[in-house]
Amino acid sequence: MNRDHAQKEDCSERPTIGSEPNGTHGLTAGSVNQAIPSKADQIFGRRLITPGILLMTLLIAFPTVVALYISLTAWSPTSGLSWYDAHESWIWFDNYAEAFSGRSLSILLRTAIITVVSVGLEFALGFVLALLFVEGFPGHRVVTVLILLPMMVVPAVAGFVFFLLLESSGPINIILGGLVPGDVQIGWLTDPHWTPVSVILVDVWQWTPLMFLILVAGMLAVPDDQQNAARILGASWFQRLRTVTLPLLKPIIIIALIIRAMEAFKIFDASWLLTQGGPGESSSTISVALYREAFINARWSYTAAVGILVMILVSIIAFQAVKPIERAQREA
Amino acid sequence: MSSRNVSRLIVCARVLAVALFLVILLFPIFWTTTMAFKPAEEWAPTDGTTYWLPEDWTLSNFIRVLNIGDTGGFGGIIEAPLDATPSIIRSLIAGIGGTLLALVCGTLTAYGISRHRAGGRHHPFSILQMRMFPPIAVIVPILFLWTYLQLFDTVHGLALVYGAVTFPFVVWLMLSFFDEIPREIGEAARVDGCSRMGVFVKAILPLARNGLATTALFVFILNWSDFIIALSLTDANKTAPVFLNEITSASTGREFGPQAALGLILMLPPLVLAVFIQKHLVRGMTFGAIKR
Repeated sequence: MNRDHAQKEDCSERPTIGSEPNGTHGLTAGSVNQAIPSKADQIFGRRLITPGILLMTLLIAFPTVVALYISLTAWSPTSGLSWYDAHESWIWFDNYAEAFSGRSLSILLRTAIITVVSVGLEFALGFVLALLFVEGFPGHRVVTVLILLPMMVVPAVAGFVFFLLLESSGPINIILGGLVPGDVQIGWLTDPHWTPVSVILVDVWQWTPLMFLILVAGMLAVPDDQQNAARILGASWFQRLRTVTLPLLKPIIIIALIIRAMEAFKIFDASWLLTQGGPGESSSTISVALYREAFINARWSYTAAVGILVMILVSIIAFQAVKPIERAQREA
Repeated sequence: MSSRNVSRLIVCARVLAVALFLVILLFPIFWTTTMAFKPAEEWAPTDGTTYWLPEDWTLSNFIRVLNIGDTGGFGGIIEAPLDATPSIIRSLIAGIGGTLLALVCGTLTAYGISRHRAGGRHHPFSILQMRMFPPIAVIVPILFLWTYLQLFDTVHGLALVYGAVTFPFVVWLMLSFFDEIPREIGEAARVDGCSRMGVFVKAILPLARNGLATTALFVFILNWSDFIIALSLTDANKTAPVFLNEITSASTGREFGPQAALGLILMLPPLVLAVFIQKHLVRGMTFGAIKR
């Protein structure tokens, strides 16, 4: 029974992103080439993954259990109790009830909007840049290196730099003032309408190069003969882009968008360093809001509750995000 | 207009457009670089002038932030010493320690998954999921644990968390490298009488050494770039990115020059290491999902 199960797993398509060399992982090849893993093989495999599982347990599983416990109490570091005595201030689900308030929803919504707009802009700009660039651009090696530079800047440094640039009397307002008539006084760091824009700006600046890099690599991999065939058939530049290049790029685009969105959703550095999430909560993302609750308001039990809800939410999204990645990988 | 002229015009337009992009992309880096070489009178002008380029190029910001000499004070005010060197060393140690931990655990796991299907078909995804959690969501309970184990505000405590946070990244990247090595190589070594561990150490690892080096450099850059974990888990023993953002001056309230100098120093390692991983940049940045 147990063995059957193991074998079934072995033959089923492994959800790994990566090419399968020589097709040995495939269903037929798997059952022919690969004997049922012996008991010793299985044990060896289990030993290999044990250190990783221990690490994950220490840093994810254990904290999650503690967080669950604390989240049902009103404990805070200022309450004078040790954390394991937190049950003395047991409050059941009050923290969770509070977490479902409109305020949290607006933070969630803001994070989602910042994520979508940032990643969308990064893709659009990266795509345009890649198109401008891809066919025989003079000095393309040097230019590529220059374009990739922002990606290499430590995010905490990027946050600091943009803080300097976006000050009300900083260079960006001065330059904008030179381009349009009148004095430009945009409160990038002080006006609640503009602070989310500033956060997006930093993310777009830092990660457009990555989109560019991925798309250029994809475009260069489009076979020349397909492009030439389309050209001979009289296809215009735009038709070739739409019917030859884009369909071939689709899997790469999907993977790039999902992975970038995954990282953008966690955004903290830019928002924290520019405005500490403020003024008010105008530029608070989920990470910033959690940090504020934990380290400024010292509401650890509430932070724990929100942390758990965020983990559940992310797990659901992750589960959904994996499928298109798998599909895209198979098409690629 | 002949078609030749048209195409020449198009090339010109493309060059102009890319140049415009480049100017915008590079401006923040230009601003930091010049800021780092400006004297205090120029990075904190009292009369509101903006200095686009330093008028008096100076190394005093670097001297001050690395505490390698006397800058003689600015405008008669002797500032308190600012020494970022210990924080840079801490960043290096925590970064390297975390990288080693993630590399050992991650490589073993990736090999187990690639060759032995260890953990079942969902194991890779449950690992990837860890990468999607915002670190701050688990940092509060880790704080409890760290206080209890006396790891709070220590470099090795930080290295442990770095190792765990980058572990999923190593697994996925190494998985993509291991999958490129034909299975027959391991099988042949087995037939020749190698033990299972021997196959891994003597046959597979040497073949995967380029991938291993690439992964190590990527993970180090990730750890080096961390801000939020060090911000939450250290107090007196800050890492360099946290230190940079907490430099303030008693007399002027701002220390933009030394901050920019430290920022430049922090940019250096990723830039230098990028030279070695440029071939695998796309693969690394997408967790091995796109291989080109």
